[in-house]
Amino acid sequence: MSRAINIGVWAGVFGVFIIVLFGGQSVLAAGLICGLLAGLLAGARTEGETMQAGVRDGLISGAVAGVILIVSNILRNTFITTLVGQNLPSTGEVLSFGIAGAAISMVLGAALGAAHFLPGRRSSYATWAILGLVILIYPFLDYSIQLGWLGIVITGLIFILLALGLNIVVGYAGLLDLGYAAFFAIGAYTAAFLSSSYIGDQLNFANPRVSFWLVIFIAAAMAGLFGLILGAPTLPLRGDYLAIVTLGFGEIVPIVFRNLDTFGITIFGHEFIKTFNLTGGELGISPIDPPKLPGLNFADRSDQRPWYFLLVLIILFSIFLINRLRGSRLGRAWMAMREDELAASSMGINIVRTKLLAFAMGASFSGFGGAYFGAFVGGAFPSSFDFSVSVIVLCMVILGGLGNIPGVIVGGLIIELSDRLFLPQITLLLQSIAQHNANNPSLSGLQRFDPTLYRTGLFGLVLVLMMQLRPEGLLPNARRKLELHADQASPGEAAQSQTDLYDVETEAASS
Amino acid sequence: MAQTVATPVVPVARRRNWSSIIVGLLLLLVFSPLIFSIATKIVHNPLLLLGQLKVGLVNGAIIAIIALGYTLVYGIIELINFAHGDVYMLGAFTTLILLSLLNIGTKTPWIIRGPVLLLILAIVMAVCGGINVGIERFAYRRLRNAPRLAPLIAAIGVSFVLQNVGLVLGGVPVFEGDYWALVALVAPVIVIALAMVLARRFAAGGERKMPVWGWLILIIVAASLAIAGFNLVHHGLQSAVPLTLGDNVMGETAPGPKNVPEVIASVSARPLLETPFRLTWKDLMVLVMCGILMSSLYLFVQRTKVGKAMRATAQDRDAARLMGINVDATIALAFLLGGALGGAAGMIVGMYSNSAVFVMGFTAGLRAFTSAVLGGIGNIAGSMLGGLLIGLISALSDQYIETRWTNAVVFGILVIILVFRPSGLLGEDVGQKA
Amino acid sequence: MATNILEAQGIVKQFGGLTAVNNVDFVIPKGTICSLIGPNGAGKTTFFNMITGLYVPTSGSMIFDDQSIVGLKPDQVTARGVGRTFQNIRLFANMTALENVLVGQHARLKANLLGILLQTRAVKAEEERARLRAIELLEFVGLGRQRVDEMSKNLPYGDQRRLEIARALATNPKLLLLDEPTAGMNPHETDALTRLMRQIRDELGITVLLIEHDMKVVMGISEKVTVLDHGGKIAEGLPEVVRSNEQVIEAYLGKGAAAQGKGGGGVRKAVVQSAEGR
Repeated sequence: MSRAINIGVWAGVFGVFIIVLFGGQSVLAAGLICGLLAGLLAGARTEGETMQAGVRDGLISGAVAGVILIVSNILRNTFITTLVGQNLPSTGEVLSFGIAGAAISMVLGAALGAAHFLPGRRSSYATWAILGLVILIYPFLDYSIQLGWLGIVITGLIFILLALGLNIVVGYAGLLDLGYAAFFAIGAYTAAFLSSSYIGDQLNFANPRVSFWLVIFIAAAMAGLFGLILGAPTLPLRGDYLAIVTLGFGEIVPIVFRNLDTFGITIFGHEFIKTFNLTGGELGISPIDPPKLPGLNFADRSDQRPWYFLLVLIILFSIFLINRLRGSRLGRAWMAMREDELAASSMGINIVRTKLLAFAMGASFSGFGGAYFGAFVGGAFPSSFDFSVSVIVLCMVILGGLGNIPGVIVGGLIIELSDRLFLPQITLLLQSIAQHNANNPSLSGLQRFDPTLYRTGLFGLVLVLMMQLRPEGLLPNARRKLELHADQASPGEAAQSQTDLYDVETEAASS
Repeated sequence: MAQTVATPVVPVARRRNWSSIIVGLLLLLVFSPLIFSIATKIVHNPLLLLGQLKVGLVNGAIIAIIALGYTLVYGIIELINFAHGDVYMLGAFTTLILLSLLNIGTKTPWIIRGPVLLLILAIVMAVCGGINVGIERFAYRRLRNAPRLAPLIAAIGVSFVLQNVGLVLGGVPVFEGDYWALVALVAPVIVIALAMVLARRFAAGGERKMPVWGWLILIIVAASLAIAGFNLVHHGLQSAVPLTLGDNVMGETAPGPKNVPEVIASVSARPLLETPFRLTWKDLMVLVMCGILMSSLYLFVQRTKVGKAMRATAQDRDAARLMGINVDATIALAFLLGGALGGAAGMIVGMYSNSAVFVMGFTAGLRAFTSAVLGGIGNIAGSMLGGLLIGLISALSDQYIETRWTNAVVFGILVIILVFRPSGLLGEDVGQKA
Repeated sequence: MATNILEAQGIVKQFGGLTAVNNVDFVIPKGTICSLIGPNGAGKTTFFNMITGLYVPTSGSMIFDDQSIVGLKPDQVTARGVGRTFQNIRLFANMTALENVLVGQHARLKANLLGILLQTRAVKAEEERARLRAIELLEFVGLGRQRVDEMSKNLPYGDQRRLEIARALATNPKLLLLDEPTAGMNPHETDALTRLMRQIRDELGITVLLIEHDMKVVMGISEKVTVLDHGGKIAEGLPEVVRSNEQVIEAYLGKGAAAQGKGGGGVRKAVVQSAEGR
């Protein structure tokens, strides 16, 4: 009981954070998030073993969070809204939206609590059904209350797709790949070359424009191919050397795309290929054709809902494939290699080939994501693929938990939302406070303070702290948990700590 | 440490496979027109080559100094200290701040300038060595027996954190001739020292370790006390005895490049040599300083007892411990020396190119790491050689290919070395050791 | 068809200046249990590592099942039919017992990337067969069904040794190399393991080569014993013959001891002591 209240308070604090930052009707989104937290943490982990207990705890937790939401929504509108120069809504509006947010939180909490105690597999089906419903409803909610998060959420999901791919390389096979952005770039540029008029414009012919649906697979294959080319000679090297080689490759690829704006081949004075602008240099290549599907309009950038659903489908498909890989001969070989390379090779596993396959598979997912990214953004620009991209994706994988798909998704959401949603919003908030209170000299420093500048420092801190305090990630894969800990706990301790978050893992495995 | 021998782990892959030979031939074929065109350019104007070689030598000497930091650390604990490049960057920033606060420039008479520069060098080396030791203590030590991935990831994290420290420093106004700030800097040092003593007392007091939130609170309190102490002292002194201050050397924006005050005249002054290539006093300064640093490090590691302890620890940590060597102290010493050299390199670069920017550590670090690998990582003489080679190669690439391709050339070389001779030029075969 | 499963001739292995194995000829007849003994550092494990492809011999030839295996990589040697266990257990700690055995079957399974992604019927059937075979093997070595899903690092020590044998058997070997399988076991467990080794030879028809310090095991089970000392072969033959060999006693107890030692008893005692001392 007190545990449920505790979780409710924490979920509420998170909600307050959103409400304070965004104001307006964001309390509904806050309610959605609080409800999920309440249901998954309090409802599904209740001590009692009956469905009633689950519902009760989910409900209590959701209600506590809901009350916090209502109160903070009122306070936000009383104190902060005028300070930052937003329009003040009527008291009725503030109250009714607050109550609606609280209601969403309670309903979700109770439903997830109930779903967890259904018998057998129906429990996980029901949980996933509720989560699916939230995923399905979210863009409509976003659209109707003009939250404006959708574009950011889509970018975040692209990064989650990348993190899922990197998880194969780092989490399953235990290879540190620091040049992951390179394959992302290769995917995006493949899409740019194949489904824009750019090459034709440069060389004066009407080039065929390959459909998006084909391009994403070609891009995945291209990235995989480059993964093979890079990996074949370097994978026999020891692990930290591989990290550096991939880092070097990750640096070279954007340089090449940036610099090939004067591309031509002249050998001994003979011009084999006339010099032309192959990659568009710093300006990149745009526009890239959006996907076409009857009944859906991808070209209208003001409504990004089709993009969202497409990406959700792509990610689900990827998870499906990755799960198949993990449970197969290949996935076992990856994990065996990670555990003990020598023993693995003595069990008949060809180390180089197995590593290469993991590396290429990871690269393909990155290329896949790159092609989607290119189409979504509408272009390929060299500046979007620098080292920080590789580090962000690595950060996601490590924050959530190496080798664990739900962990990677949660880690990805946390990193991406704080990077693209919260940090810019904090900056905006501070600056508008400074602007609307220009006569207050103590606030003038705010205008120059830009938290988004320090985003890389945040990721760095996450990496350092995670390695020190919780190397297995927030949602650790049960099997991976102890591996990164320096001091091995006794088996008994290990078993105990595994029970803590184990359910998330099994749910994922049974999906 | 000249030869780092890891435990004789069984090799997993050893035979040179055909694929690497084929890749090598392909590379040669692809780049043959380029090589040909470079050759023609050199034949056309050989003097230009001489000048570029000088540029390469000067840059290479600096890179070599940074590379030594990687090698020292890698030689002992087999960790790529990713943050080393950023320690070097902080060295440049410390130099910039000290030079500005002391208002040292080309106008200062040499009788003052010389000793003060030496003093600044000592401070910068101490600060950067200290930072590096702190990194080791707080970010790497716990992970010494963890899988290799863990400290490497932590190192990447530290690198980003330090980069942001540089960014924050870039946003702090620093005025020329602000002597009081220098005095006031002592206050935060005292505060931090007190906090550390307190923390140690608290942590050592009971059986339990200090909880994470305890550290967090302590850090936040100490930081705010330090800032408050600085402001208080600074403001008090300034209002008691006002100083006339010069410009804010950090400029308007935090991320922008900063101008390091010039202490050795470059443009207007008469160079040492004009033909056949231009050699300035600055060039000489770099070569002399780097030469002294490199040779003293070499002698230190080869000749002194402590150096011997370092080499022994590099060979076999456990055996060294059994022989009565304090392994923790020895590892810390490697970090101290590496950081000090990185700081010195930062100062030399600051004085040579007169600019510092918070991202400068990343590229420089990668180049230096490449040199260390080229020479054979863990091998001190190798790192020096590698540094010089990489300096030369990038100078030639700047001239004969294009500056914007130089990074790609350097990384390309890194990849090629790792593929064909992972042990480097002077190292033994590391590839054998899986 | 040769009568010997392994024929090694003139095997030399040098590490830098150190000669770990010096000109050893070694033959394992098919269907036998052979032992390799010798004091610590005699080059036994080095020899094992050369058979399994972890080391390449500096010189010499090694014929396994009528084909040379010199220069093959460990996985290729395993594919030819050599399975092994390790002196210090090297299980995949964070994988279940079942998964460990499934990894052992890696080279015998055919599923490729495409098949796995599409989950073709052949792949599914193969996976199911592999699973059944793995459980069968686990039961064969005496790990019950209830241990199947246990993380291997959570298994008791003796079971970890057994699991390692099951994993090696899963590679479907013709020759099984066991590196000190009874190290650290109590007499009861040792007896059980000795029975298991016989079973492996008799029921599965697999030739066994073991490195062993426990002379009771060696003398009780082997048809042939080879003694290495300082990298060289100093004796070979039936257990009884080796037991009373002067050179062997000297190798274990040093000069002088051989004169006063009372044959096999002395060796046994010394060896037991040296095994405990480690």
